[in-house]
Amino acid sequence: MSRRNKEELPHSLLHAILLVATLVTVYPILWVLTIALSGKQSLAIADLPATPAVSDRLRAVIPWPESISLANFRSLFTDQPFTRWLINSAIVAAATTLLGIFLAATAGYAFSRFRFPARRVGLMSFLVSQMFPGVLTLIPLYIIVVKWLGLGSTRTGLVLVYTTTAIPFCVWMLKGYFDTIPRDLEEAALMEGASPLTIFRRIVLPLAKPAIAVTALFSFMTGWNEFILAATFMDKENMYTAPVGLRFFVGGFSQQWGYFAAGAIIVSIPIVALFFFLQRYLVSGLTAGSVKG
Amino acid sequence: MKSAPSHRLRFGIGLALALALGIGLDVLLLAGARAADARVRAERQAIVTLNALTDVVVGAGISGDPVRTAVAAWSKSHPSLAAIRVIAFDGISLEASTDPKDSGDRAAPRRLSREEKDAYDRGQRLRASVETNRQEGAARKEEIEVAAADGGALDLAAPLEKDGEVAGMLEIRTATPPPPAPIPVSTALLYFFAPLAVYAAAALLLGERRAPLAVAASLLLALVLFLFARQTLRILDADRVETDRQVAARVGQETGLAGGLVAPGAAAVDPAKWDTDVFRHPRPGAAATPPGGAERRGRNVFFGVAIGAFALLAFFGLGLAARLGATLSRHRVAYLYIVPAMLAMIVLVFFPFLYGVAISFTQQTIYNTGQPLSHLWVGLQNYGHILGDFAVAKRAPDGSLAFNYLNFYWTLLFTIVWTVSNVTIGVTVGLLLALILNTAGLKLRPIYRVLLILPWAMPNYITALIWKGMFHRQFGVINQVIQIFGGQPISWFDKPFTSFLTALSTNGWLSFPFMMVISLGALQSIPGEIYEAARVEGASRWQQFRAITLPSLKPSLIPAIIISVVWTFNMFNIIFLVTGGEPGGSTEILITQAYKFAFERYRYGYAAAYSVIIFLILLAYGTVQNRVTRATEGL
Repeated sequence: MSRRNKEELPHSLLHAILLVATLVTVYPILWVLTIALSGKQSLAIADLPATPAVSDRLRAVIPWPESISLANFRSLFTDQPFTRWLINSAIVAAATTLLGIFLAATAGYAFSRFRFPARRVGLMSFLVSQMFPGVLTLIPLYIIVVKWLGLGSTRTGLVLVYTTTAIPFCVWMLKGYFDTIPRDLEEAALMEGASPLTIFRRIVLPLAKPAIAVTALFSFMTGWNEFILAATFMDKENMYTAPVGLRFFVGGFSQQWGYFAAGAIIVSIPIVALFFFLQRYLVSGLTAGSVKG
Repeated sequence: MKSAPSHRLRFGIGLALALALGIGLDVLLLAGARAADARVRAERQAIVTLNALTDVVVGAGISGDPVRTAVAAWSKSHPSLAAIRVIAFDGISLEASTDPKDSGDRAAPRRLSREEKDAYDRGQRLRASVETNRQEGAARKEEIEVAAADGGALDLAAPLEKDGEVAGMLEIRTATPPPPAPIPVSTALLYFFAPLAVYAAAALLLGERRAPLAVAASLLLALVLFLFARQTLRILDADRVETDRQVAARVGQETGLAGGLVAPGAAAVDPAKWDTDVFRHPRPGAAATPPGGAERRGRNVFFGVAIGAFALLAFFGLGLAARLGATLSRHRVAYLYIVPAMLAMIVLVFFPFLYGVAISFTQQTIYNTGQPLSHLWVGLQNYGHILGDFAVAKRAPDGSLAFNYLNFYWTLLFTIVWTVSNVTIGVTVGLLLALILNTAGLKLRPIYRVLLILPWAMPNYITALIWKGMFHRQFGVINQVIQIFGGQPISWFDKPFTSFLTALSTNGWLSFPFMMVISLGALQSIPGEIYEAARVEGASRWQQFRAITLPSLKPSLIPAIIISVVWTFNMFNIIFLVTGGEPGGSTEILITQAYKFAFERYRYGYAAAYSVIIFLILLAYGTVQNRVTRATEGL
């Protein structure tokens, strides 16, 4: 035991490195918290005098507000249409998740269990579609969704577009997972006279819960975090999603950093929580997907 | 399935569907063309009247009682006009009007009211157009405005000129036109059923013989489509002749009327200049338009329709449809499961992609989106301009290098530097922290781990905006820290290099946790006994790392690197929100540059070609990646 300790680097040094790394990691988040709780719109933590001393500057760097106030959060929900944007985002993300899982689970199951003409072409086309640059499809999508389908500034249009963004990854992910589920159970059920649909719903889907969880997380994140498509399709301010709204606070000539910070925290909390909850599935899913890619 | 297929039935169904497609499309095209012709006819007649009335109003002096008299007389003899308005710029007054809205206390003459600013603006627009065209000696701006009013009526406006100056505007609104010619349903039905009846008789005679049946069906289809196309073209031809006749008649009618209204001394009336286009250039006379371009285009369209119809006939007649149907029904469960996802993908992913590729061969911009793509076709020109421009840097007069940041190769180079440096930082920091976190017996490990993963969980657009704020020149925290250590504040976004650093630190911050988690997972799966054995053998720490740790990391680290290369290459949000390409587009990556070309410079065709090139680069990378991963899987 003593020999081993001699060979290891001293733990104090490791702690020092980890502390520095953690500080750098956490600082921007503390900074946002500080701005959010400052009750002001300024992006400076503290106002500097005309000729600041080092202590003044230090004050402006330490992530602790001069006075704690919930004013930013309060007026976000009262003066600003932020509640509306949050609701938009929640509806869009939830609908994207549901639709995404439905479409990806059915297609993934067929790709995993059946052998049929054009199966390989279908799988490869999903993979290649991941490489389509978003900019290329943005203008045609605008024409289709806004001009042809008349879904501009509606949540339905956004849900459709987000779902198709998420489908390829989800299909590959679920197909990979279905492949690992042994077929014996299904064959036994088939013997009992169960229909393919029953087998799919009663046997396969429950077994694939972990993969479906990852698919759900991925679809939800797509809907919750996306901002370029939303900014393109949502013309009306009351139809903004949360990302578009947050950018609205600090983009262009607008400098409402307090609102932005408070909003950023509110928007991040659900997604960070979900992320930690499902994180280990996400890692295995991502690497599995890329190995197959 | 095993019973012998009936060739008679197959060719019969094929013929029916081909006829339905061919005649159906032809009828729709005919209706569309007739509607377009009717619009042209109405517009030409209205322009003749407008020009004639312009001459009359100018002859009457644009303002004053003579104008009102002339307009009233004109209106009385023109039931086809719903309203006439004359506006004089001198005094911004409504000189004459037959619009029902301008009666009572709003009757002419009076000053234009505030809510009639639209009309005034329209007049000024026309004045500007006339002056522009005169200065340039060209016809670039429209001198007659034609707008569609309610119910298919037309709303036209023309400038009124006096002594070479635009001194007023004349507006007319036509009455609602008669409804368009009905679609010839009975003729179409005749053309549909007659050949089917003939085919049925022929099939009875010929029996189940494939070749004669094919010939019979093809001949019938060709004959019917030819006859129908010929009749359609005749109708259209007659329409055009009728248009020319009606326009000529209108000119004659207005000549008589105008001659009566204008005093003999004022010479302005010139009927030869009335049948014009919107630039007020005379149209070539009726005799000068032989059935040329338009008819050829019509023929091409019919030819295209016929090809489609024949393809349909062959598809069904030769049994391909039957085979496809059999395949679909044999695997119908599988296809049923796939159809919903596939349909969504086709409509919202694959079709837009192909549409985008088509745009890349055109010179579409925001100004010509109304035109069909075929009119804007430029072939590979966009690609040539993007890939053939090697002027990355120019030597300025003082000898320094001036880079052209909009050049494709600059952006490509920047994107590669951006990707390589980000992935390097991510892997290095992530691996280092993973190695430390993997130390046995280290306290507080779970807490470090959770805090260090936070950046990955945050939405990246929020991260980007946070860092943008922290790099603010005046209030940003980072410049405060620099000043604590006695440095000068830096304008981060004024120089390409410092601007690059801001994006790099932002992306580094959010991308190392992924690598850390991947490495940690791999490290934890290495059994401790291997190290034990190595130590017994006397291997140094470095030797252990090289011989045990790295090889065990490889299977999970290489896929992670491959995927993060793609992510970084396309990391739109960070570049777009942090540097925004500042300064001068020097820190754009390919994907943000394509976006700027489309949505800031509005060059859709060019931006689409740019995006296709990005796609090809990624595709090439994907193919290579596939080989590499397969190679590592073999290890």
